[in-house]
Amino acid sequence: MDSVSRRAFLKSSVAVTAATALPQTRVSAAAQGRDSTPAPAPQTTITLTVNGKRRTVEVEERWTLVELLRDHLQLTGTKIGCDRGECGACTVHLDGMPVYSCSQLAVWADGQEVTTVEGLADGDQLDPLQQAFIDGDGPQCGFCTSGQLMSAKAIVMANPDPTEDEVRQGMTGNICRCSNYNRYVAAVMSRPPERANRLDPLDTVGMSYPRVDARERVTGQAQYTGDVTVPEMLYARVLRSPHPHARITRIDTTRAREMPGVHAVLTREQCDITWSSGDSRNPRYLFNNPVRFVGDPVAAVAAVDRHTAEAAIEAIDVDYQALDFVLDQEEALSSGAVEIQPGGNLSPRRDGERLPEIYQRGDLDVGFAASDVVVEETYVSKHHNNAQMEPRSALAQWTGDELTLWSPTQGISNTRSDMARDLDMPPERVRVICQYMGGGFGNKNQSQDSDLIAAVLAREARQPVKLELTRKEDFLGVHGRWPTTQHYKIGASRDGTLQAVQLHGYSGMGPHRKSGGGIAGIELFRCPNVRREVSPVYTNMSVSANFRGPAYPQGVWGIESVMDQLAHELVIDPLDFHLHNLTREYNDETPYTSWALRECITEGADRFDWSNRWRQPSGRTGRVTRGVGMAIGMFAARLGRSSAVLRLEQGHLWLHIGVTDIGTATKTAMAQIAAEAMKMDFADVTVVWGDTDRCPYSVGESGSRTTTHTGYAIVKAAEDLKRQIASHNGSVGDQPLIAQATPEPTIEGMARYASAAHFVEIEVDTELGRIGVVQYLAMHESGRIINPLTAESQIKGGVTMGIGMALHEELVYDRATGVPVNPGYYGAKVMTHLDAPEIEVHFIEPVDTFGPYGAKNVGEPPIIPVVAAIGNAFFNATGRRIKELPMTRTRVMEALA
Amino acid sequence: MRRLTNIKPASLVESVERLEADGTRAAVVGGGTDLLGMIKDNLTPAEVLVNLKGLRERGSLDLVETEAGGIRVGGLVTLTQLSTHPLVTTPYRVLAEAAGSVATPQIRNVGTVAGNICQRPWCWYFRQNFPCYKHGGDRCFSRVGENEFNAIFGGGPSYIVHPSDTAPALIALGANFRIVGPTGERVVPASDFFTLPRVDISRENILEPNEVLADIHVPLASGLRSTYAKVLDREAWTHAVVSVALALEMDGDVVRRAGVVLGGVAPIPWQPEAVEELLAGKRVTESLAAEAGRLAVDGARPLSKNGYKVTLTENLVRNTLQSLASEP
Repeated sequence: MDSVSRRAFLKSSVAVTAATALPQTRVSAAAQGRDSTPAPAPQTTITLTVNGKRRTVEVEERWTLVELLRDHLQLTGTKIGCDRGECGACTVHLDGMPVYSCSQLAVWADGQEVTTVEGLADGDQLDPLQQAFIDGDGPQCGFCTSGQLMSAKAIVMANPDPTEDEVRQGMTGNICRCSNYNRYVAAVMSRPPERANRLDPLDTVGMSYPRVDARERVTGQAQYTGDVTVPEMLYARVLRSPHPHARITRIDTTRAREMPGVHAVLTREQCDITWSSGDSRNPRYLFNNPVRFVGDPVAAVAAVDRHTAEAAIEAIDVDYQALDFVLDQEEALSSGAVEIQPGGNLSPRRDGERLPEIYQRGDLDVGFAASDVVVEETYVSKHHNNAQMEPRSALAQWTGDELTLWSPTQGISNTRSDMARDLDMPPERVRVICQYMGGGFGNKNQSQDSDLIAAVLAREARQPVKLELTRKEDFLGVHGRWPTTQHYKIGASRDGTLQAVQLHGYSGMGPHRKSGGGIAGIELFRCPNVRREVSPVYTNMSVSANFRGPAYPQGVWGIESVMDQLAHELVIDPLDFHLHNLTREYNDETPYTSWALRECITEGADRFDWSNRWRQPSGRTGRVTRGVGMAIGMFAARLGRSSAVLRLEQGHLWLHIGVTDIGTATKTAMAQIAAEAMKMDFADVTVVWGDTDRCPYSVGESGSRTTTHTGYAIVKAAEDLKRQIASHNGSVGDQPLIAQATPEPTIEGMARYASAAHFVEIEVDTELGRIGVVQYLAMHESGRIINPLTAESQIKGGVTMGIGMALHEELVYDRATGVPVNPGYYGAKVMTHLDAPEIEVHFIEPVDTFGPYGAKNVGEPPIIPVVAAIGNAFFNATGRRIKELPMTRTRVMEALA
Repeated sequence: MRRLTNIKPASLVESVERLEADGTRAAVVGGGTDLLGMIKDNLTPAEVLVNLKGLRERGSLDLVETEAGGIRVGGLVTLTQLSTHPLVTTPYRVLAEAAGSVATPQIRNVGTVAGNICQRPWCWYFRQNFPCYKHGGDRCFSRVGENEFNAIFGGGPSYIVHPSDTAPALIALGANFRIVGPTGERVVPASDFFTLPRVDISRENILEPNEVLADIHVPLASGLRSTYAKVLDREAWTHAVVSVALALEMDGDVVRRAGVVLGGVAPIPWQPEAVEELLAGKRVTESLAAEAGRLAVDGARPLSKNGYKVTLTENLVRNTLQSLASEP
């Protein structure tokens, strides 16, 4: 079926860079002596005042204001998150009013006064708002921060004493995907954060230090990948498939190659490099034929400027032969479905067998025979996007046969090894740098195809190449959370004891298997008879992979909804049902190193006053009805290999760790651990990070592992350093000392998990279909908390992100054409300041003898119970369940109809 | 982005001449926010941008002022100005509320009222450049596709909904639009400005490509009580799922004349005249409000996925009417 014209495809394709190999066979236009300068675009001279300084500049009339600021005036504190006026990262003041600088042409600002984040501080003297953002832990990843600051500044300029609602209203055009809205608002209101520890803090561990790099993040000085420029740098763009499944029958790049200013064009014909990051079980080329999803890269170009690269992409002619496609994960396994990958649509297991992933214990028949009540229900969750504020980008520079790659990655070490593997070169010739990165939530794990495309284009063009994905490309071409279909059958005896749990599930992976594709949550409950069968399935939707707590939020929503229903049918308070059936040992066999899930539930319930607020759902009454819900979650806090190098010189400690700090305050927490281990002042520790040439291996910032892995390596390196000091009888003088450790701790016969219990009250406007969060309480056990301030920010953000998953987010596909219709912040309706409720956070801190000072993890657990808690509250309020995500107004209205 | 030429005409007349000369290549810039996004996404062929920000008449076109029989709102007045201007907020609350409900502060700070009225559709298919009627194609993808947010009234052959918030308010207030074109100017009632797809599939209003919406005249009304209620799919920065602009001219507690206009439900701001007639001469009671709600959705023809909008519209009209009438 070919219902989308080629014209529409070309026009809708997003620009991105891509390039690939065989440089020896390609001669660039420049090398052939063609005119390498594009014909000039209309230009004009404008005069504007930028941060108090009058500037007269020659601009192309098509330049946006943010393009002028970033590319030509080197004011890179202003960021581009969407380039469409949907996110606010580019907010600047124009004649004192906040505007989206992506949505204004530079020529339109002629004669006006522009203020950017760089203009807020007076020399070294920060604006009070900047200081408040530091003290109140405003920035997590920091990519939205300059925009937040500019909106906040406009609010206090107009009214030095705004109300909280006025602050939210005034900042609602600034999305924070880390969802640190509570912190931003509190900072503007000059309300200092509350800091509560359960365990007594140690000397530095357990203390709420502001982030070590907060100043850089609030002044626009933090350098993200897109902010880096090198001489002779080219700009890249990628041409992407407009079809969900099609064979390319002809591709003609002649016009693109002949365009002045184009230095390299790559298609599958010249590039057979495979991108094997993650978990791909079928070869995934940089450019695939057939193309298997809308957004699949087809070609890439590098040119002297952004606009020429974009024009070159549009000049590539491609003929497609449309193939049948399938979007739904369950339908993809039906007999009539088109085969997306050779061998069929059931993605093979690691052992190569084409079988579902199966876990079982006990005997389901026995379990159901012992059950008095059995609930059978199906839950369907959707693909939604990580939507981190910083779109994927890469800058590749070759020096001889050595590659330097700037990339916003969650792991410089694994990106280096991935790149070396895919480019068939020794890892020591690859250097990966990531100083700051604007969030990822799992989709910046490993290397991305954008890294490879930039590298191959740069090799081809013999010049450095920068590739920045557009927001739409980031939505379609990177990855989001895998959609699932979950068929449950769960039985319990009259006394409320679980007897049998069965899950038959399907996960839609898109056409490539990039991650596990599991459906998690069953392990939260004790039950003698369990069977879980999950089929990860190839489909023609965008690729799905890791997104915060990857397999949990959707799985916990399913299982916790069924458990809530089961408790209802047994006429048992869901709180009691949980306490009765809670896991005590992982999968009923492996003891936990420490286990405080019960305490999370009981203390959370007390704080929430659950026993007085929960009542049996009685169906809706009145226009606005309220209900309460609860759900639990766990997330593995594994131990494992990572490295740290400590360098002690003249009383100062340099901590070399290969982390990137995705927004989790990793650098700060690691510095605290180092200071604690060495019994030094926090101020005497400097972190060296984010550069494979300057840092040892570190585990990637995925799986919420950095604190437990790299933090533990720091503790071990410190032990060595202390031994060295002791061998100098404690007096090292000017003697520099260096210690390193790469421990590989394991836990034999035990499981280590962080726990959470969430309690929420919602109100449902039954006439207008709106769900509003009235109160949200998140009770967490994450071992010892290294930094309560920043840990609490993460919990708040994770919960808020989860509310967005529950209520709004879905990448919607047109079923007839297989084309997604709502990529981007506007279409995904991600949470804004006005959507974000205050999230109350409490930590339980058990003593755990593993990990650095008993620390577990914080990053992923908070999103896990959210969707389930809200769904259960909706049932409590209305007596109805919504079994398909997200719980939009449409579905609320339909459920209540 | 394609090569753009920024034209700075000195006057409205000159602007119109440029539009005339450049035809479909030309587009008027008020705030420019949405236009730039559309250019980036190749949703419009515009490459000559006739920028009204530097007009000689700017002093008049970005002004709200009193005039005989009401107020005049220049087409370049920003949504921020409109939502906070004392000549608007108190007497014409519906207009201030509508303007203040648009998008985000950053967009309202540059977005103009004329631009908001003349905004192109935000139908997913249009914005993703499907070859639909609005892009010169041969079908409406939403008719059988993802039509959750599409029209329940006035649809066919295209099922877009009109995205403007200020337009329903202005129609409810009985405003007039002054349009300047190559042969002079014309004044049309706001209610006659918008065009159903079955009349002209290529555009949403009667503005010719060489015409500019210059300013808006809002008549005085005595005893005016008005409000704008907008249902959004998150708490900010979405277009109306459904909205209602209510303007009731009251004699004591009796409605003398009612303006009732719906947003988000039809390819144009939708004026259920039967509801307006029902309300005229009556006190707004609970049962009258309920009847008005029911009447407002009379004749609705929902698509496969937007049946909820019928209920939503009925409830919104009823509740808004009731709460407006019961205000002190």
